[in-house]
Amino acid sequence: MPLGNVVEVHDLVKFFGDVRAVDGVSFSVRRGEIYGLLGPNGAGKTTTIRMTIGIVTPDRGEAYIMGYNVHKEPVKARSFIGVVPEISNPYVDLTVWENLMLVGEIYCVPKRIRVKRAKNLLKMLKIYEARNRKAKVLSKGMRRRLLLAMALMGDPDILFLDEPTSGLDVISARMIRSHLLELKEQGKTIILTTHNIDEAGMLCDRVAIMNRGKVIARGTPEEFKIRFGEYARILLCFDREIDAKLIRKHFDSYEVIVQGRRLAIICRSKDLRDVLEQIVQVTNEYSLSIEELRASGLNFEDIFVRLVEGLG
Amino acid sequence: MYRIWVLCLKDMKLYYFKGPTIVMGILMPLFVWLAFVAGRGFSFTESLPALITLASFFASSSITPIVMPWEARQKSLEMLLSKPVTIYIVLLGTALASSIFGIFISSVLVTIGLLLNVIPRDLISLALGIAVSSLCYSFMGLVFSAIPSDVPADAVMLSSAVRLPLIFVSGIFIPVHSLPHYVKPLAFISPLTYFSDLIKNAYGYSSLLSPSIDVIALLLLTIIFAALALAANKRTLTRRL
Repeated sequence: MPLGNVVEVHDLVKFFGDVRAVDGVSFSVRRGEIYGLLGPNGAGKTTTIRMTIGIVTPDRGEAYIMGYNVHKEPVKARSFIGVVPEISNPYVDLTVWENLMLVGEIYCVPKRIRVKRAKNLLKMLKIYEARNRKAKVLSKGMRRRLLLAMALMGDPDILFLDEPTSGLDVISARMIRSHLLELKEQGKTIILTTHNIDEAGMLCDRVAIMNRGKVIARGTPEEFKIRFGEYARILLCFDREIDAKLIRKHFDSYEVIVQGRRLAIICRSKDLRDVLEQIVQVTNEYSLSIEELRASGLNFEDIFVRLVEGLG
Repeated sequence: MYRIWVLCLKDMKLYYFKGPTIVMGILMPLFVWLAFVAGRGFSFTESLPALITLASFFASSSITPIVMPWEARQKSLEMLLSKPVTIYIVLLGTALASSIFGIFISSVLVTIGLLLNVIPRDLISLALGIAVSSLCYSFMGLVFSAIPSDVPADAVMLSSAVRLPLIFVSGIFIPVHSLPHYVKPLAFISPLTYFSDLIKNAYGYSSLLSPSIDVIALLLLTIIFAALALAANKRTLTRRL
């Protein structure tokens, strides 16, 4: 394992029946970085994570955590990690405190440290007041924070988070994101899967974009923006609703998104002049007024869509 | 070993008071025993070995079938498996919790017998038999938990479909030598036969085999059920996640 890489994944393949759910995925994660696996639903992110932490056996390929093969030495390898699976629950019939103590015992944390760490984590994640409540009465956001606390009970070097903010309200999601950035500052390595592009752009140092079981692109969010720098996104807001069909006919050589009064056009920067001329023409033809017009580079979501749809 | 014990304590806390455990582990053996002895002129002294045999069997095999489907349904299984444990550690913790439940229930009955002056002739083989058979039954129950379903009732139904017929072919109420010849082979692959025989011997009734043969047979069946349970549960694990 090259120096500084805490996770190494080589050529993972997994079949479910005839379906090749993961198809030759490889990646490595450096110490202290936030690494994102991005992709639409069904891209194979969760299966990749499950194989990387050793709870699903791959049909081919290997995964190493801190140099330990997760399938040959699973207990040793998993003692370095904390995991928050996507669809997962703490033990709902145990209290918040009992859940944390259980996990602490599994990680063989001495009792004195276990108690101190549990208190600190509950305070940090703002669920200390709920420590004596059974997990089944917690809100979804609180359960998610409890799962994060449970993942941190062993003071792991590496955190795996599968869709950490999926299904959470904006405030809970923001809270989780800010905790992740705090954990990164503390030197933790974080590997997360998400289909939330903004989240990946905000949090990740590097990302791998997956589609249909394969990694189709990888790099930093900034590298992707540079790679797609030749593209521009024009955003318009008209004074009234526009006919999507008519608009698409006028801009048939560009990628167009119409939503009520709003229109987004993605084009190459060199075509910007032509597009603007066409906009003026459409505005005159249908007697529309432009209330807002903005031109910018592609955001991460545009880039993601272009990659997944094979447009980039 | 420490992690197995931690998970055993977790299962004791979570599953000892669950509905299926109470019904299948305590009420079922009691009612089956009552159905056989009530109104037939058996004294408590005569029927206590049968009650201990049934209680140990049902109690020890009542928790293991439900834990994996239950935890898969509650979505806590993946969380647990992502910790520094293997599926084998998880299963061994469950088997231990289940067998301790069987040992506890059987011990309560032995104690009640002692209080009512029903004294076993061979306390050591009784204790050894209860311990080994409880482990054997709990692994047997664990085989049923491998059913790739997240509905605990599915595993309970499957285990009941096997457990109930075993009562009739294991010499608890009908002696093995009185069974029809085509059923006799079944009696010798049933762990209940050896435990029932051991208990009868321990309480001074006539038995088929010597206690040491009963214990060896139970140990062999424990190893077979354990290997089957661990392999089958590992095989179906992916479908549970």
